Amino acid sequence: MGLAFVGPYVVLMLAFGIIPAVYAVALAFSRADGGFAGLDNFVRVITDFRFLPAVQHVAVYLVLWLVMLTVLVVVLALVLHAVTTRWVSRALRLLYYLPGALAGASAVLLWLFVLNPDAGPAGPLLKAMGFETFAQTIQPGNLSLVFAVIAFWTGAGQWVIVMYGALNNIPTEVMEAARIDGANPVQIALRIQLPLLRKWIAYMAVLALAAGTQLFVEPTLLSQASTGVVPNDYSVNQLAYQYAFNLSDFNGAAAIAVLLLVVSVALSAVFVLRGGLFDTEEP
Amino acid sequence: MTTQTLERTRRRRSRGTDLSGWGGRGLGAVVLGVFLVFFAVPLLWLLIAVTKSGGDLVRSGAFTPGSVAGLVENWHDLFAFQSGAVGTWLVNSVMYSLGALVLTLLVSVPAGYVLALVRFPGRRLLLVVTLVVMLMPSTALVLPVFLEMSLLGLVGNPLSVILPFSFYPFGVYLAFIYFSTSIPADLLAAARLDGCSEMQVFLRVAVPLAAPVVALVGFFSFVQNWNNYFLPFVMLPASSTYPMQVGLTTLLSSTPAFNPSAAGSDSVQLSTLALATVISVLPVLVVFLFSQRFLVAGLTAGGTKE
Amino acid sequence: MTLTRSARRRLVPVSLVLVGLALAACASPAGRTSEQAGPRGFTEAEQVAGSPITVWVDASRVTAVDAFTAANPDVKVQVETYDGSANGSDSFKTKISLLDRAGSGWPDVVFSTQNNDAAWASVGAGGQQPFAAVLNKGLVKDDLLSGFTKGSLDPCTVDGAVYCLRNDLAQDVLWYDRSLMDQFGYKLPTTWEEYTELGERVAREHPGYITGAAGDPFTPEIFFWPSKCGASGVVGPRAMTVNTTSPQCQRAAQLVDRGVQGGWMTDLSVFSPEFVQKYTGKVLMMPGPAWFAGAIFNNEASLNVPAGRIGAAAPLPWAGEEPATGNVGGGTWFVSSHSKNLDAATRFVDFVTTADDYQVAKAPGYPAYAPAADKWIAGQERSGYYATDLSALTVAAPQVWSGWGAPAFSQEAVWARTMQPLITSRQPLEQALGTWGQAIVDQAKVNGYTVQ
Repeated sequence: MGLAFVGPYVVLMLAFGIIPAVYAVALAFSRADGGFAGLDNFVRVITDFRFLPAVQHVAVYLVLWLVMLTVLVVVLALVLHAVTTRWVSRALRLLYYLPGALAGASAVLLWLFVLNPDAGPAGPLLKAMGFETFAQTIQPGNLSLVFAVIAFWTGAGQWVIVMYGALNNIPTEVMEAARIDGANPVQIALRIQLPLLRKWIAYMAVLALAAGTQLFVEPTLLSQASTGVVPNDYSVNQLAYQYAFNLSDFNGAAAIAVLLLVVSVALSAVFVLRGGLFDTEEP
Repeated sequence: MTTQTLERTRRRRSRGTDLSGWGGRGLGAVVLGVFLVFFAVPLLWLLIAVTKSGGDLVRSGAFTPGSVAGLVENWHDLFAFQSGAVGTWLVNSVMYSLGALVLTLLVSVPAGYVLALVRFPGRRLLLVVTLVVMLMPSTALVLPVFLEMSLLGLVGNPLSVILPFSFYPFGVYLAFIYFSTSIPADLLAAARLDGCSEMQVFLRVAVPLAAPVVALVGFFSFVQNWNNYFLPFVMLPASSTYPMQVGLTTLLSSTPAFNPSAAGSDSVQLSTLALATVISVLPVLVVFLFSQRFLVAGLTAGGTKE
Repeated sequence: MTLTRSARRRLVPVSLVLVGLALAACASPAGRTSEQAGPRGFTEAEQVAGSPITVWVDASRVTAVDAFTAANPDVKVQVETYDGSANGSDSFKTKISLLDRAGSGWPDVVFSTQNNDAAWASVGAGGQQPFAAVLNKGLVKDDLLSGFTKGSLDPCTVDGAVYCLRNDLAQDVLWYDRSLMDQFGYKLPTTWEEYTELGERVAREHPGYITGAAGDPFTPEIFFWPSKCGASGVVGPRAMTVNTTSPQCQRAAQLVDRGVQGGWMTDLSVFSPEFVQKYTGKVLMMPGPAWFAGAIFNNEASLNVPAGRIGAAAPLPWAGEEPATGNVGGGTWFVSSHSKNLDAATRFVDFVTTADDYQVAKAPGYPAYAPAADKWIAGQERSGYYATDLSALTVAAPQVWSGWGAPAFSQEAVWARTMQPLITSRQPLEQALGTWGQAIVDQAKVNGYTVQ
């Protein structure tokens, strides 16, 4: 009975979780002719002149995004929580959350417009900041920030709602007691609300990190739209794609995939060990 | 689960700190206002942009509405593109997302049920692996999965995206949490005493109670698969098999403003591209409008279990 | 370990055996070589007479498809637009590579805006035969092939086999607005030095007018190639020479630097809406390829210069040297070796490269097929649009400097990522020439070239 019910799931897990991961590892340590390659593939991709820039791009993007996400989401949730008019609070939460429906290619397309000083809604603002043309807004130095802003725009709303919910779960008595003790709102936020949000912030950060290392569609579309100024190997995933389908070097591509996997599994290990969020014990 | 959570939330609802005085209030209002603009204005602009012609989009004010005729024309241009390619892509998207949705539900609900309520050898291992795999980013596996599909001769076949989409450990995890918290063991024991077989217990007791988790898993699976780009991008290289998200790149590359060499009779106007963007997210947007609580319930499910 | 790019690459999933899946048996066969090839130079798929053909073109070339279907209503053509591999995106190559793995779904005919695709399309990958069908062993008639302007099929030719047909030649000439030149009292420059002087005079006397554009990824092909800058010397199938710091490169860099910083050359892409807004009626001169004529000047959606103003002058020499020029693209048409309807696919490429209905009547650029080129020139002159005759194009065609070759990667992509941002942010190119050279060398090595 048990096996019949989990059977299909186990098959899918083997086919699309375990085997591809093992296969990637095997390829990464193999030569093109099938022989054992040792670390050659890793050495080759890491010393590729495009590898470090790609890692750097993704790293800077991640840092910017995480800082934005943690700071702004918490601030927004705290401020929203202080709003006493119920319909205002509800409407704001919905509006913050709606961009989440646009993910991937759709969000990038919309932002191609937004970043265009001539056609988009942010034209006057961009021009005031000294960006006269689309080519100037997407200068290489701005890109990490641009991607972080796009990711924040789509992803922040749902986390604001989650944090807001968590704040609601703080018992009234605790808050009242603090207020009677004469704590001002900032103190309450720092001493009571933030510590209680910490778990959620960690949860959000780790999920964001795991997703963020996977940057692909954003730079792909921007590369297209910038006539190649954004290179088609901007992110680590794109480089893996180029290895596989431009250079027909699947071993190199697998080496990159393995590196990405190691990073994300390491992250998930931290997650499982530290957070207690995914406790597998009985309820 | 969700209704219970909501009720509990409402009962324990604590009025937050009132920002002291007008200064704090004002500051708070400014913060909320600025972010309202940030989140909502691009969407609002997009909805206005689809009513204008390509030229008006550049010439007229950003928030000057166009006309219904403009919208109709953009609509017409979009669906005339490459003799109706956009329609094909939309149908493909629906087919892939719904196909994967059905499979995901068929696989993950029983699996979550068994993991939660039946003891069997390997159960704990399976749970741990599920958690690890859940955090393994699917894009890192796209290339090996592609090679696997290529060995099986499935590249270019819709199954090459539907099957990987159907592997959804997060869905199993949600079902596991749901069944282990919301179905009283007494109920199952009673059913067994009444002479129900295990299969009957599942079908008569668990399935009818599973509506919330079916909705939850369905929502996440649908949104994620509808928006997926990388996997179909490599698995389905022929235009006739693209889902909408990949089709958008074709439209982008036919828009002269974003691809210089695209000036031609089949080129796409900016406003038509804007309409394509709207249409590409419409199903998800509609689902989103009515599903705020699903999303929150799903995200919090990962964290509330202690 | 160096990059092995063997066409015989196969997957040997060692570990899958460990996992218990005997998938190795399904591993794809090694790439087929020409020994197994059919009489026309490749193994043909089973032909299905009258089956529809799928054609990949960039949006600009949809006109060609329309012209073909109008003239050949019996052939069913399915158009799919893509980016044309423009700006070195390599999308043609990567998409075919994916389809090679899929083992089906190939298009029958592909247009590429680049002219370096034969380098990979003539080699099989992923266990499949080379994508490009050999055209000169029976598919395309010899008398048609010999009609192409001498040398124009060189980028399509590998080891004597012709893998594509050239759409147009893209030799650079000096386009200018004769009415404006007369109005301002300027004489046409005869060397690049004079061109620079005139540009600086324009900036002083008529600020806001421009004499050139440097905002596109093909900028090196307009200024560096004609200056005989050795950035892209292809000396063997997998060997290159790269020297970007020679005096020839420096003078070109100085020219662009002075132009962009002096404001007499724009840093905008000539295709951007900003360019059209800002410079309609304000382009005095513009060195650039033959296709600028139809794509920029005589195009409603672009500068839309009225008839009787635009003239073409022969490529400029540097003082004391013979004139030389460069080449910006000049697209190519490929027939798929996997096509189920080679007859229709071949008819299609024959038509779009040679037929008057397209190359003479509609094409924006100078046809590579010589008889069409003559008629195109005659037609353009007869249209009364130009203020001069177009003999400059004919003069320029054989002057393209042969020291700049087409390697398997895109020079435009390298320029776009290393030098383009400098131009956009108004930083000088001259100091960055070494960086540019290094970027070309890096890219060449990754693609399996040895650089001398």
